Amino acid sequence: MSSQIHHIHQQLMNKDISCTALVQEKLDLLKQNTNNTVNTLLDTLALDLAAKVDAKIANGETIGLLEGIPFGIKDVYMVQGTYTTASSDLLKNYKSAYTATAIQKLLDAGAIPLVKENCDSFGHGSSSENTIFGAVKNAINPDLVGGGSSGGSAVNVAKDYTVFSIGGDTGGSVRQPAGYNNVYGLKPTYGRISRYGLMAYASSTDCVGPIAKSIEDIRIVLNIMSGKDTKDQTTYASADISQEVISSSENIKTVGYFKNFIETDAIDADIKSDFLATIEKIKAKGIEVKALDFFESETLVSTYYTLAMAETASNLSRLDGTNYGNRIEGDNLKETYSVTRSENFSEESKRRIVGGNQVLSQGFSDEIYLKGLNLRDNISENFEKDFEEVDIIISPVTPSTPPKIGDSLKDPHAMYLSDAYTVGFSLGQLPTLTVPQGTATGLQITAAKHNDELVLKFANFLKDTI
Amino acid sequence: MSKIMTVDVLSSIKGAQPSEAVNKLFEVIKKANTTNNNAFNNHNNAVSLNNLRDDVVIDSSATEKQIIIENFPKEKNGYLVVSKVIEE
Repeated sequence: MSSQIHHIHQQLMNKDISCTALVQEKLDLLKQNTNNTVNTLLDTLALDLAAKVDAKIANGETIGLLEGIPFGIKDVYMVQGTYTTASSDLLKNYKSAYTATAIQKLLDAGAIPLVKENCDSFGHGSSSENTIFGAVKNAINPDLVGGGSSGGSAVNVAKDYTVFSIGGDTGGSVRQPAGYNNVYGLKPTYGRISRYGLMAYASSTDCVGPIAKSIEDIRIVLNIMSGKDTKDQTTYASADISQEVISSSENIKTVGYFKNFIETDAIDADIKSDFLATIEKIKAKGIEVKALDFFESETLVSTYYTLAMAETASNLSRLDGTNYGNRIEGDNLKETYSVTRSENFSEESKRRIVGGNQVLSQGFSDEIYLKGLNLRDNISENFEKDFEEVDIIISPVTPSTPPKIGDSLKDPHAMYLSDAYTVGFSLGQLPTLTVPQGTATGLQITAAKHNDELVLKFANFLKDTI
Repeated sequence: MSKIMTVDVLSSIKGAQPSEAVNKLFEVIKKANTTNNNAFNNHNNAVSLNNLRDDVVIDSSATEKQIIIENFPKEKNGYLVVSKVIEE
């Protein structure tokens, strides 16, 4: 699909539609939707902003490319004055005091926020069922999960309720729901976009990521949100990616894939055969394809979850009902903390917090946490060696098609293993894009750190190739 | 007080127990082979000391302060009410 942002921008400029009518139409769709994608509608704010855009156009003023474009925000981003619940009981009445840097940049560019979107609570999940707002239903088949944790965001884009949405990706939470709902979802290089105002899950892999229906829209939104931010010391300055540069793939000579992702019984037979067929089409275009060695899926998943749980146990320790959140009073301070946390965290969040505290406790930390960090280093080194040999790595997004609603909650370990193909790239902090092509749940395109441009370039090439 | 803290105390979650699903992950880590024993080589995420933000106090806006107060779980005359601490 071509760029919706450019198309709507032209329609607004030509006065074919008014911004107010556009925003109202999307708000109505969101309000009536039965996929459980909405935590809070930002209707008053959105309509006020739309009226201002219409007034500018009526005055003959020019508007920016993103001005008047309606978008959605995963409910883990701070937007001043709006509820930011993380889909949790603990924060169901929590109001953001400030606005996340990435979202502020979009607001400054004139984009219009419509909705805070349903997701797994605190990002803890791969199905968007771990939420107090009801399981998110898949855009293509509502009996299936919407994917997670940014499920509401991916479904809203797929259903055209938002033009683009901003998800958050810690271990695959943008890429997997994008794959499950046949849209594009980018996890940029870690640090390219500021995490300030994104509720922390695992700080060393948390990334802000756009979800949209075209590569061009991903490019536009990525450029706006990127950049150094003094409020997030892990950010770095990056140059804008131009439309022209990513339209040609001439310097992509070699593509790799991990053979152990494909040569396993854990992968769905159709996903495997479709992936291999894609490899053949790439070869037919004269690109060399190399099969690469990589870590076992179990090692990747275990390393990721061990470190992510340690980080989330630490990050969520602040949520004790003292300064904000749904405090439940106990007999004394410690009792208040523990009743508040016991009653307000979901089973999955508690499982991860407890796991994280196990990891960090004396006696365990050397054997598990430090070894996990060591494995992460080994994984990163492996990537560095791979990118000396290949320009791009492609892989399936998931080993299987989306599960039925209800199935993931029954078997948490199976849910963790379903993240096998996404978590490695998170640990490596690499730019990875899901494209809705190649297999039933799409393909991931990965390049070396800071080379987000090459990822988009190869996506354009694939769009025309398969 | 015992020197050994159980996960329910560490996590401030009543009755919390280690879970089987998570223990399976830890078993994989314990058995994994790593190529070196130095956990802190060149892939750490520490921020460069040459690039720190300015050490200045930035006052929050009136709106921000107002929302922070609105978020207080219990409030009295504009102050946050907290549980009393009982010494053990």
